[in-house]
Amino acid sequence: MSSTITSRQMNPFDKILDKLCLTPAGFCGLALLFVLPFIPPFNQEYMLRWLIYCGLIAAMSVGFDLTAGYISIVNFGYAAVSGFGGYSSALLVINMGLSPWIAMIAGGMTAGFIGLIIGMISLRLRGIFAACLSWFFGLAIMGLTIKLVWLTRGQLGLRTPRLFETDSNVPFYFLIITLLFFIYLACKWIVRSKMGLAFQAIGQNMDAARTSGINPVYYRVMNFTISCAIAGVLGGFYAHFYGILTPDMMHTSKTVEILAVAYIGGRGSLWGGAVIAFPFIFLMEIVRSTLSNLPGLNLVIYALVLILVMIYYPGGFSYFYDTNIRKPKNKALRYFFNGRA
Amino acid sequence: MIVLETSKLTKKFGGLTAVNEVSMTLYQGDVMGLIGPNGAGKTTFINAIAGLNPPTSGRVKMMGQDTTGLTPEKMCRLGLSRTFQIPSPFPKMTAIESVITATIFGNKTGKVKNPVEHSRKMLDFVEFPMEETVVAEQLNTVQLKRLDLARALASNPKLLFMDELASGLSEGELNDIMRIIAKISKKGISILMIEHIMQLIMAVCNRLLCIQFGTKIAEGTTEEVANDPKVTKAYLG
Repeated sequence: MSSTITSRQMNPFDKILDKLCLTPAGFCGLALLFVLPFIPPFNQEYMLRWLIYCGLIAAMSVGFDLTAGYISIVNFGYAAVSGFGGYSSALLVINMGLSPWIAMIAGGMTAGFIGLIIGMISLRLRGIFAACLSWFFGLAIMGLTIKLVWLTRGQLGLRTPRLFETDSNVPFYFLIITLLFFIYLACKWIVRSKMGLAFQAIGQNMDAARTSGINPVYYRVMNFTISCAIAGVLGGFYAHFYGILTPDMMHTSKTVEILAVAYIGGRGSLWGGAVIAFPFIFLMEIVRSTLSNLPGLNLVIYALVLILVMIYYPGGFSYFYDTNIRKPKNKALRYFFNGRA
Repeated sequence: MIVLETSKLTKKFGGLTAVNEVSMTLYQGDVMGLIGPNGAGKTTFINAIAGLNPPTSGRVKMMGQDTTGLTPEKMCRLGLSRTFQIPSPFPKMTAIESVITATIFGNKTGKVKNPVEHSRKMLDFVEFPMEETVVAEQLNTVQLKRLDLARALASNPKLLFMDELASGLSEGELNDIMRIIAKISKKGISILMIEHIMQLIMAVCNRLLCIQFGTKIAEGTTEEVANDPKVTKAYLG
């Protein structure tokens, strides 16, 4: 926010970074993500698949944080909405012969429409009640997907064509990282704009926001629509990357996975979840593959980490970063962590 | 000129009548005090006008326009602002951001050319004692009340409701608040203020409205109402 208030003289590089909503540290992180698939041991295909999953969860947590972190409503149906986008996209490709690329965007639009509906019917509800409503909505979508066997093949799973006709995972990896970055950028621009101010206001204090002239209906529905549209596009990516869709991807435990990453990363930061997702989900995948005789252990670990973070560090990683790492004495380091803005 | 007029305004919560057929008139330039014992329905009354809790029956007219049951955001655009009894900030925003929010959304688009400059002026106007970059959740009650006032003024209201702005203030702070209220009034903003502190009421209000058990028992100039036996009885029993 401070960048909109004070504008100082900046050199072109800093200006571009500011427009891209990155600090020099963030820029390096992004560059690292782009070279990661060429560095051993990450160049192995199975590790790359894990990294793609990390990127997917990272991107999801950014979209999730737009609702949870800014208007303070936890959308428990997030994975279901994403799955709805994925199924729409897959069905459009299978039944109408659309290109997976266009179908992915169409999936985003249908999921955005679902977001519009959730936003509208949860308007009169606050906090936990709106969260419950979105959860039930998600369960209903999942139930429908299981039961409409003639359309979705239910638990048997729906085979979908992939985005790239190749066995290599590298193009998918680059695609998800690009998607992640653009989703982050879009959310960040929204948050920096007038609309973002309204989101924060209605999330922090509804009564004061309304008496300040903010129409909560419009901004809340807008927020849900954008956030769910993001989930839908990512659902489309999921569909056309794994090549098979099952109703399991809509399960609440998937939402909890996204929620855990977003909260551990830091609510209301957008970047926190995106950064934390990579080490965290990657470690979880290692745990899951090494302890494969203990299924569900990773969920227990999610819960534990989440509880610990909520108790001892409710601000999450982004808060830790802002208070402890962002303000070093050294000038060059400070530039590295903060940029000029 | 009449700024605000209510006729037989009633607010019921289930079987409980919190405000019962209150009719009142507020003229341009008035600083009107709304007094009454605790639980008399003062806050409910202004909530009913401002739209946070729409009235059950009766009419509200503001600046000659019927505004009964309009939402708070619409009332804000029409020129009604308010502060809250329990100061109501945006906890994670800085002081200046809170005021900018009200400046941007409370005024018609394009009316304020430079929202940041305007917001700074508002903070100066209410003599906000802290840096503008302080986060609202770190402020104490006195500072929050100033911030709330700046936020309310940012939308350039014609009518301002103040809900117990002076409660819990020390003697010196009371004098500051009196001076600020006088400044607001001088800007041409009509004021309706809920207040308990008689010292403040006698100093700044030119008219009073007294409510007891949701019913109006007196309305008139400060002298008249303060000396009304019904009002004295309501307060002292």
